Amino acid sequence: MIPTGETQSLSFRLNGQPLAVEVPPATSLLDLLRGPGGLTSVRAGCRIGRCGACTVLLDGRSVPACLVPAWRLEGRRVDTVEGLARDPHYQAVASALTWESALQCGYCTPGIVLSLVSCLRNETEPDRDRLAEALAGNLCRCTGYGGLRRALERLAPGRPRASHFSDPSDPTPGGSS
Amino acid sequence: MIPDTDLPVQTLGTDRQREHWWVGPETARRVAGRTAYATDVPPLDGLLHGAVLRCGVAHARVVSLDVRGARAMPGVRAVVTAEDVPGTNGFGIVLRDQPVLCRDRVRFEGDAVAAVAADTPEQARAALAAIEVTYEPLPIVGDALSAAEAWPLHEGGNLLAEHTLRRGELDAALARCALVVEQDYRTPRQMHAFMETEGGVAIPDGRGGLCVQVGCQSGHRDRLQLADILGLAPEQVTIRAVATGGAFGGKDELTVQPIAGLLALRTGRPVRLQLDRFESCRSGIKRHPVVARVTTGCDRDGRLLAHRVDAVLDTGAYASLGPAVLENYLDHATAPLYRIEAYQVHGRLLYTNNGVAGAFRGFGGNQATFAVESQMDALAARLGLTPVEFRRRNLRRPGEPGSRGQPVRWTRPPAELLHLAARSPLWRPSPGEDPRWLEGTGLAMGGQGNGLGDGLPDAGGGRLNLSPEGRIRVEFGFVDYGQNLTELVIRRVSEALPCAPEDIDVVLGRSDGPDSGPTSASRSTVVVDQVLRAVLPGWARRLCAEAARRAGLPPEALVCGPGGIWSRTPKRRLCRYRELAASLGPVPAEHRGDFPVAPGPTPPVGRFLQLLIATVARVAVDRLSGCVRVQALHHITAAGRVIHPPGYLGQIEGAAVMGLGMTLTEDMPTDDGRYRFDNLDQYLIPTLQDAPEQRVDVLDDTPADADYPVRGVGELGIEAVAPAIVAAIEAACGVRVRHLPVDPDRLLAALRDTEHPV
Repeated sequence: MIPTGETQSLSFRLNGQPLAVEVPPATSLLDLLRGPGGLTSVRAGCRIGRCGACTVLLDGRSVPACLVPAWRLEGRRVDTVEGLARDPHYQAVASALTWESALQCGYCTPGIVLSLVSCLRNETEPDRDRLAEALAGNLCRCTGYGGLRRALERLAPGRPRASHFSDPSDPTPGGSS
Repeated sequence: MIPDTDLPVQTLGTDRQREHWWVGPETARRVAGRTAYATDVPPLDGLLHGAVLRCGVAHARVVSLDVRGARAMPGVRAVVTAEDVPGTNGFGIVLRDQPVLCRDRVRFEGDAVAAVAADTPEQARAALAAIEVTYEPLPIVGDALSAAEAWPLHEGGNLLAEHTLRRGELDAALARCALVVEQDYRTPRQMHAFMETEGGVAIPDGRGGLCVQVGCQSGHRDRLQLADILGLAPEQVTIRAVATGGAFGGKDELTVQPIAGLLALRTGRPVRLQLDRFESCRSGIKRHPVVARVTTGCDRDGRLLAHRVDAVLDTGAYASLGPAVLENYLDHATAPLYRIEAYQVHGRLLYTNNGVAGAFRGFGGNQATFAVESQMDALAARLGLTPVEFRRRNLRRPGEPGSRGQPVRWTRPPAELLHLAARSPLWRPSPGEDPRWLEGTGLAMGGQGNGLGDGLPDAGGGRLNLSPEGRIRVEFGFVDYGQNLTELVIRRVSEALPCAPEDIDVVLGRSDGPDSGPTSASRSTVVVDQVLRAVLPGWARRLCAEAARRAGLPPEALVCGPGGIWSRTPKRRLCRYRELAASLGPVPAEHRGDFPVAPGPTPPVGRFLQLLIATVARVAVDRLSGCVRVQALHHITAAGRVIHPPGYLGQIEGAAVMGLGMTLTEDMPTDDGRYRFDNLDQYLIPTLQDAPEQRVDVLDDTPADADYPVRGVGELGIEAVAPAIVAAIEAACGVRVRHLPVDPDRLLAALRDTEHPV
């Protein structure tokens, strides 16, 4: 919720475009983006930084927008899925998630996309384990994360992972099937 | 393929060529964040923001309520109380016993006493703080087991429903048992925890009526209840079920519709209302906690003779769908997959001040299956039989009636699923080298029926048309809350007509469209299939006849195809759907039918269309902390033809992880009738790191033209997870858990007792 009281003018870049707003300094970035920012892909789930539905990129790194107060935004860069259409990491993530149908209701999905984009951008070796760690703060209630795991395999191909379904006597990692 | 079997079984998601793995445009839209949800802020002139004053006390008389101060606050356009409800001040799918706004008594902490509409959300919240209410506390009914004798929450007392199912002579059968096992089972008050909380916007139509855009599960049913509350004719109320960020039964009941509607009518302006997570946790419905004593006996060969269940379900302060949940609990408590000479299954549904319980994926069935399957393992262990062999001796065979004597239609024999589960690669000895982690494997089986059951009115319809632009428009009243019904419908139509997926527009969730019945009870897929089988062939013939007339060819020479009508030989497109739309105009076709019940004159009992699952779980138990990690789940399913492989796979996997949460971490305990938790930092749902590797096998070779070729699988995956996990825990460490969720401290203590017997 946007607090009442004295306001502060500040400007930052949202999806590449300059945005100037006049809001109380404690306004959360989440409310700023859904209100004056006019975005719908950044979504409220818990407002305590636990669920990840409001994840955005702040200077290229993923953060929960509900925990970022407006006063911290001056001169910084905020990106959401709306502004990433040409980004190669975004394209790779979006196509892996789509092909694996790694979502159901989709409410949490833009946040998941941004956590993965942040990991691919900022990690020197964004392997599957790193990508999975990057999603520790993104809750999905629908899928059971199966499609997401398969999407991570697609994003970070490598040696087949040891599987609980493979025959332990089979020397091939992941089994012969 | 699974070795040494020639059963028609296939692992989903592995051979995508064969499965026709297809992902549609709606999935891509959701990934890109372009789908509009009910809680998006709509760009409407004069939009107001609603807020609800919840009482925050478990049980009290309302002594006084003064809203004058709030009315005078800046930006406030309306403050409403019970006095302002024009029609019935009560809702509930079974009994309308939950007040929209409480007048003189509150029965749980989430009860609403007043609501505000203001220019901004902040002004609305500030006005709530200016409302003065005084409460006189009443005794709190916090325990369902003693609720019947406690202070009555409603006229008629706290025993809302009591029911017994019986077959055979229980006492005589018990007397003949060589072995009897009696145990107590408890299951938790699970929260749906959909990522999008309850919300929507009510928009007055300027003629006294209104349209409500909302996340819900049944626009048509909501409309009837809402009209009654608002004192309107049903025709004056329209529900638009916008894309909904998860529901799982938790939006089956009315949520924000009545108060948003009331505020919109009062102000004549659109009103947006969304519960935040705190309010959602405290006022939203939950799964019924169940306490059950179960007594099951068999002869010395392990043949089941007698089975008795005494269960208490805590329905909280209001009925919601509680009586229907009780019915489904009892149905599953009869151990429907097994032949038992006699049973007596008794359940009581009690009002308490512990929030409100209602519909939740599984609908009471999975709570019962947890106890039933655990009993099977207990008897097997006492007899020295494997869980597989014990079940093999007792499973029903195809052609036998169901446990309540009713005809049932499975798609495969239960024994085949057991056979495949017994050959799962997850059965392997604990590696044994790790002193900390103990590993084990367990299995459980589950059965379910589709539809509302027990002969309840259960009709559903749908509509097909050709738009002026030549789009094939397919319309159902169902809501897409993430189960991806949109793409299932596209798949079903594009394969059967046939046409290209791109030729189809799917329109869902409008209460002024066809009534398909509620989006619940795993019924949508069956209704969709039934409607399309009824209308598609005739509709295709009408299009082909027109195309034939235009081309001067016999209609039999033409077929529907991608983009338009094609000649069979040579295979080429003769005209586009758009051209047909120009010459034919609309081509409406509608079908409405009853949900399939057993053919014949006997009144329906239970559910006819049945589906099956066997789940094998592999777990590791931490000897240091008592924590349990589920490493892998293997599901064998028999639920008819798979229409949309990604949807089927996702439903089974998603429901299974929801069941895993209920088994290991999820519970909403109450202290003196108040929920202990109010957000997702305390109420823990599984994360990616908690989710096991899963494999979903489909056992099926049903032909497309079979009588009942499909089943709905939205709830199947949760059915057998909990008992499979506790069986695996026992295999790992020798301790059987019967109270869910598994308490690591208690498991650790029990583990120490087993390892170092006193």
